[in-house]
Amino acid sequence: MLFAKRKKTSEGAASQAARTGTSAPVGAETAQAEEQTSYEGDICVKGADLYYGDFQALKNISIDIPEKNITAFIGPSGCGKSTFLKCFNRMNDLVQGCKITGEFRIGDVDIYGNIDVNELRRNVGMVFQKPNPFPMSVYDNIAYGPRTFGIKKRAALDEIVERSLRQAAMWEELKDRLTKSALGLSGGQQQRLCIARALAVSPKVLLMDEPTSALDPISTGKIEDLCLELKQDVTVVMVTHNMQQAARISDKTAFFLLGDLIEYGDTDEIFDRPKNKKTEEYITGRFG
Amino acid sequence: MTKERVKEGANKALFATAAIICIVAVIAIFVFIIIKSIPALSKIGFFNFVFGDVWHPDGDDVYAEALAGQYGILTMIVGSIFSTVGALLIGGILGFFTAVFLARFCGPKVKKVFGSVINLLAGIPSVVYGFFGMVVLIPFFANFSSTGDGAGLLVTSLVLGIMILPTVVALSRTGMDAVPQELYEGARALGATHEQAVFRTVVPAAKSSIVASLILGVGRAIGETMAVIMIAGNSAEFPTGLFGSFRTMTANIVLEMGYAGEVQMGALLSTAVILLIFVAVINLLFGLVVAGGKKDKHGKKRMPGIPLPKWLKPAAIGKAISWVCAVLVAVFLAFIIGYIVIRGVPHITPDFLFREYHYGDDPAILSCIVSTLLLVVVSIVIAVPLGIATAIFLNEYTKRGSKFVRIIRSAIDILSGIPSIVYGLFGMLTFVVWFGGASSILAGGFTISIMLLPVVIRSTEESLKSVPDMFREGSFALGAGKVRTIFKVVLPAALPGIMSAVILAIGRVVSETAPLMYTMGSVIQPMPDGVMGSGATLAVALYRLAGEYKYMDQAYATAVVLLVIVLGLNLLAGLIGKRLGKKFQGEKNVVRKKKENK
Repeated sequence: MLFAKRKKTSEGAASQAARTGTSAPVGAETAQAEEQTSYEGDICVKGADLYYGDFQALKNISIDIPEKNITAFIGPSGCGKSTFLKCFNRMNDLVQGCKITGEFRIGDVDIYGNIDVNELRRNVGMVFQKPNPFPMSVYDNIAYGPRTFGIKKRAALDEIVERSLRQAAMWEELKDRLTKSALGLSGGQQQRLCIARALAVSPKVLLMDEPTSALDPISTGKIEDLCLELKQDVTVVMVTHNMQQAARISDKTAFFLLGDLIEYGDTDEIFDRPKNKKTEEYITGRFG
Repeated sequence: MTKERVKEGANKALFATAAIICIVAVIAIFVFIIIKSIPALSKIGFFNFVFGDVWHPDGDDVYAEALAGQYGILTMIVGSIFSTVGALLIGGILGFFTAVFLARFCGPKVKKVFGSVINLLAGIPSVVYGFFGMVVLIPFFANFSSTGDGAGLLVTSLVLGIMILPTVVALSRTGMDAVPQELYEGARALGATHEQAVFRTVVPAAKSSIVASLILGVGRAIGETMAVIMIAGNSAEFPTGLFGSFRTMTANIVLEMGYAGEVQMGALLSTAVILLIFVAVINLLFGLVVAGGKKDKHGKKRMPGIPLPKWLKPAAIGKAISWVCAVLVAVFLAFIIGYIVIRGVPHITPDFLFREYHYGDDPAILSCIVSTLLLVVVSIVIAVPLGIATAIFLNEYTKRGSKFVRIIRSAIDILSGIPSIVYGLFGMLTFVVWFGGASSILAGGFTISIMLLPVVIRSTEESLKSVPDMFREGSFALGAGKVRTIFKVVLPAALPGIMSAVILAIGRVVSETAPLMYTMGSVIQPMPDGVMGSGATLAVALYRLAGEYKYMDQAYATAVVLLVIVLGLNLLAGLIGKRLGKKFQGEKNVVRKKKENK
C-alpha cells in the first residue's frame, strides 16, 4: 500500500540500488498513478504568517527551497527558524493555539490543503534536536515507519532496515546489534539511527532541527557527511546554530530574525557578500 | 486513508466513553448518596441529626409514620474527630520525625531499606492493624484502665496513628528530599551545624509538603472503618478520657447497614453525607496547601537567616527525637508483623488452607482464597481497561491544562478520597440490588472497581506523563497516527508503571474489607458458586474469625496469609516500577552528555 502510492523515479531507485548494493524497494515496480499529486519537487512558501495565540512568530515569509539541495536556516534563538521548519511537516498542528496562514507547497501538494497529514509526514521526514529513538530494538525503530504504512512481511522489512542503515552509513556498526535496545547506543549513534529511521519510509524531504547540537564533534562530522550523501536523493532542510556547519554543507542559507526572513540566497553569497547589514552583523559576530 | 480516519475516530470515541463512564460513576455516587439521604434528613431534621446526641434507631421506622427511634450522630462526629486528632498527634509526630530521619539523618542504605519497608506498610490491610490492636493493645492497656477494658480512644488513636504513618512519612520525605541542596549548603556556609541546617532550613522549606502529608493522613484516619470497629468499642457515646467505648461515623455505617430499616438506612446515608462533607473539606485544604506551596517557591526565594547559637540546643534535640522516633517506628512495625507471624505460622496447616469448608466445620480458608481470586479477576477486568482508557483520554487526547480536564482530574481526586465504607453503602444499595438482591462476588467486584478507578487512572496518567514527548513527536513525524503512536510507542514505554499500578490495585482488592462485607459476603462460606455466588474474602474472613474468640489461631493464620500476599504484591510492584527507570536510562545518558558539551 505504501509503496504502491509512491511514484519513485527509476533514476532515483537505480542510483539508490547502485549505492547500497541492494535491489530497489519492494513495490516500486507496481507503482500506480492513482494519486496525481507528488511531493517530489521544490518547496514553495508564499506569505506565511504564524501565530501562537496573539504572538506572531513568523511574519509574511516567502521562500523557494530547491529540491535535492541542503538548505540551512540560521538566526539567533527565538527567531522562528525551528517554528518555520515544523510548518513543512505540520508538527505545529500539535501545538495548541498555533495558527498558520499563507501558501505552503511541496512538489505539487498544497500541504495545508485537504491532505492526509500522516501521508505528508511520510514524505517529509524529521530529525529532532535531541535524539529520540523509541525504547525498542534498533530493528523495530527502523521498521516503525514502514510498519505504520502497512508493510508487515519480514523479508521486506529486513531489506528496508538494511537499506536505511546503509544509507545512514551505520550498517557495519549495527548489523550485529539489530535486536539490542536503541537506548544503549551512544548519542551520536542514536541520532544517526533517527536519521535512518526517517529514511526508512523513503521521504522526499528531510527536516533537521539542530541535529548535531547535542553531539560531540566526531558524531557531528559523520552526520554532516551523511547529509551531503543524502542530498542526492532527498531535499534536506536544516536548522542550525552552528555557522561553520551552515557554511560547510549547505547550498542555500536563510537568515531569520525575530520572525522575519531577512536574507536568503546561495550560501557562498550569504556568507561572503551578505546584502543585508543585519545578516552581516550576525555572521561576523559569530565568526568573531 | 479514510479507513485510517475511521479507526482514529473510533478509538478516540472509545477512550472518551471510558472517561465519561468514570465521570458518571463519580457523579452517580454523590447524587445517589445525597438524594437518598434527603428524606431521612428532612424527617429527622438536619439540626437534630447533626447535633442530637442520642442514637437510638428503630428498625421499624418508615418515612410515612411518626418516628419511634432517635437519630442524632453528634457522638459519632465527636468520636471521628477525636480519634482523628489522636491519630494525627501520634502518627503525625512519629511520621514527621521519621521522615526527617530518613531524609537527612541516615546513610543511603538505611534510607533505601527503611524507606521501602515503610512504603510496604501502606499496603497492610486495615483489618490486620485492627486485629493487632484487638489482640495486643487492648489487653495491654486494660491494665491501665479504671474499667478494666482497654478499648477506646487511646488504642484507636494509636492504631490509626500507625496506619497513617506511611502516608505521612512518604509525602513529607519526598518534600524534604526535593529541597534544593543550595539552601542546605547556604545554611552550612553560614556556620550552621548539620542539625541546625536541617531543622531551620530544610524543614521550613518543605513545610507545604509536610502539612499536605498530615492532611492526607487525616483523610485516611477519618475514613478508616474496619480497624476502628475492632478496637473502639462502638457504643454510641461520647468518648470520655483515654478509655471507654465510642463510635465513629464510619463504624456507624458498617455496623448497622446490614439490617437497617427504612429511616435507619436513610440516617446511615446521611451519616455518609456528613462524612463526605468532612472529606471534601480535607480535600479542599489539601488542594490549598499544595497550591500555596507552589506559589511560595516562585514568589520568594529567601536565604535562611544566620543561625544563632541559641538554636543549637533545639536542633540537637530535634536530631535525637528523629532518631528515637525512627527507632520506635522500626521496633513497632517489626513487633506488629513479627507478633502476628510468630503466632500465625504454626497454624497454617494444609488442612486449614486446602480443606473444603462446610457450615459448622472448623474454619478453613480455601473458599475464601477462591473468592478473593474471583473478586480480583472481576474487579481488575472492569477497572483496569476502563481506568487505562480514561487515563489515555485525559493524557493523550485532551488539551493539556484545559478546564474540562482539570475538573475531571479533581473529580477523580475526590473519588480517591471517599472512605471505602461509602462505596460499600453505595454498592449494597445499587449493585447488589441489580444483581438479584443478594450479595455476590460480581456485586462486590463492581463496588470495588469504582474504588480502584481513581488509583488506576492516576497512576496510569503518571506513567503516561513520564513518557517523554519526544517519543510521541518522533512517531508523529514518521507519519504514524495517534492510535498507532499510543499503542506502539507510548503504552509500551509506560507499561512497567501501569503494571505496578495494577499490582498495587490487586493488593488493594485483597486488603479491602468494609466495601465488601455487605456486597459480596460477610461470613466464611463453602466454595462460591461462580461470580454470582457470594463468599468472604480473606480480609473479611479475618474480621469474622477475630470476632469469634473461639478461632483465634485461625485468625492469626489468616492474617499471616493476608500479609504474605499483600506484602508480596507490593514488593513485586516496586520491582516492576524500578524497571521503568532502567528503561529510560539510555535517554538519561544523552542528557548528561549534552550538559558536558555545553
